[in-house]
Amino acid sequence: MVRKYIALLRMKYIEMLAYRLATFVWMTGAITQPLITMFVWMNIHPEESESFLFYFMAVIFVERMTSAWDVWELDREIREGTFSNLLLRPLHPIHWAIAENIVYKWLFLVILVPVWMVGAVYWPALRPHMTGSQIGWFLAAVVLSAALRFLLSYSCGLLAFWVTKVAAVYGVIDVISLFLSGRIAPLEMLPPQLREWSEWLPFRYMISFPIEIATGAVRAEELVRGFAIAAGWLLVLAAVLQWLWKAGMKKNQAVGG
Amino acid sequence: MVIRVSHLHKSFRVHRREAGWLEAVRSLWRRDYRIVEAVKDVSFTIEKGEIVGFLGPNGAGKTTTMKMLAGLLHPTSGEITVGGFVPFEQKAEFKKMMSLVMGQKSQLIWDIPPMETFLVNKAIYDIDDRSFRQTLEELTELLDLAPLLDKPTRSLSLGQRMRCELAAALLHRPQVLFLDEPTIGLDVHTQENVRRFIVDYNREHETTILLTSHYMGDVAALCDRVMIINYGRLIYDGELSVLTEKLAPYKRLEVRFSRLPNISWDEYGEVAEMEEGTVVLRVARETAAGTAARLLERFDVRDINIEDPPLEEVITRAFQEGVYGS
Repeated sequence: MVRKYIALLRMKYIEMLAYRLATFVWMTGAITQPLITMFVWMNIHPEESESFLFYFMAVIFVERMTSAWDVWELDREIREGTFSNLLLRPLHPIHWAIAENIVYKWLFLVILVPVWMVGAVYWPALRPHMTGSQIGWFLAAVVLSAALRFLLSYSCGLLAFWVTKVAAVYGVIDVISLFLSGRIAPLEMLPPQLREWSEWLPFRYMISFPIEIATGAVRAEELVRGFAIAAGWLLVLAAVLQWLWKAGMKKNQAVGG
Repeated sequence: MVIRVSHLHKSFRVHRREAGWLEAVRSLWRRDYRIVEAVKDVSFTIEKGEIVGFLGPNGAGKTTTMKMLAGLLHPTSGEITVGGFVPFEQKAEFKKMMSLVMGQKSQLIWDIPPMETFLVNKAIYDIDDRSFRQTLEELTELLDLAPLLDKPTRSLSLGQRMRCELAAALLHRPQVLFLDEPTIGLDVHTQENVRRFIVDYNREHETTILLTSHYMGDVAALCDRVMIINYGRLIYDGELSVLTEKLAPYKRLEVRFSRLPNISWDEYGEVAEMEEGTVVLRVARETAAGTAARLLERFDVRDINIEDPPLEEVITRAFQEGVYGS
């Protein structure tokens, strides 16, 4: 399995190099929305500019490290029939997607960490104040977020076995998650009712949770609860994915000829 | 035997909608479905090392059958075993002993050179370094791949890509090879090369090959045995030569005259074509020689040619009329 992953990672890396421009656009394009949102909030609450600056830098970082585009890939591959090529090979297609996620996220990491560090030199507000264990929990939460978003995206993508253009379904989920994951505003600014729901829904654990750890908004007892809920969703989504996979294989029409 | 198919059925549920925008609106909340039976009660077996041509018009069920054999589609009913495996279970061991090449669909990764796909396949199929090197060398030589391996796949011509496609499919030395229109869109010369490669490869490795094609040249060059499918039913399974005799009990007589005589041709045969100075007659097999002699005797004939009807014509007949007593 290690050998297979090395080969897949290598291939995805070479493929990424072939898409240099597109990769650059994805990278910068994804930064625009949080940046604009940040300026809006800074304008509304100028006295809290510094905490917004840190928060949205963290949003950019976590969002890039966890985003999953698999739904669009699967939608296209299943609709156009190229998915068959992966199915014919003696390795589950999901490993191709995982390898791709690792390669791109590694690139984002290599770009974003220096950017954050240089930024922190000029703007003290960007300097994180985290203890060693906080950093550890933060990184663990980022990995968990990435896994959750990947499973959600891949599961939605598998719906392409039943309906064409499933990306639309994912679009709806994405809009909900825009608010409930903390991408538009920190969750503490949500109305109390929504805020309570957000604790139990998976979206908080896709972006906001690691950031809350980084800003110190999560206390020790909440930390355990947060990880437990996130792990619960991880299991649920993994089970959903597995079920969709089995049902999808029976439904698969292997289109095109 | 390597492939065994018995009473195979496959039906799809297809959404039906009439044309027109009113119908389009209506279909938003009322959807009519109908069941399309793509494959009906198909049974056959294929022995190790055979090359079998699988023929039928578009939509006859060839590709559907092939996809079921490769494990991509779940049969509605019936049984399939390929090399002792049930394809739909999609076991890794099964995938390692077969390959499916689709002329219209590339397994090569589009934006990077073919060699990268080969290396990924090497890892995924657990091919060890030595056999990989050996196989690649052999395929590079047979398919003349050397200048292609490091160019991005998208920049290859269709023929070049098909050669790489075959190599990618054969790296793990499959015992069973499904070729779905491997020569589609290729020029005559490249078609020729691909055919020669398939024949040589089959002879060398005793690979069992099932092939679909719309080019009768492929079938004539590669297959002794053909299976014909139409409307989802297997209507012929046997030797190609027997099919020709059965369906085309006549010869084509192509006669070129100095001046085309203005006569009724009925007493010689049925006119298939008539052009300036040339007549093509369909004549019963037994009387072909006699008719030719009479024509030579009575008219100023510049050239005469007796041949079997083209395979296209035979196959088209099989599609239209069915094959009786097969």
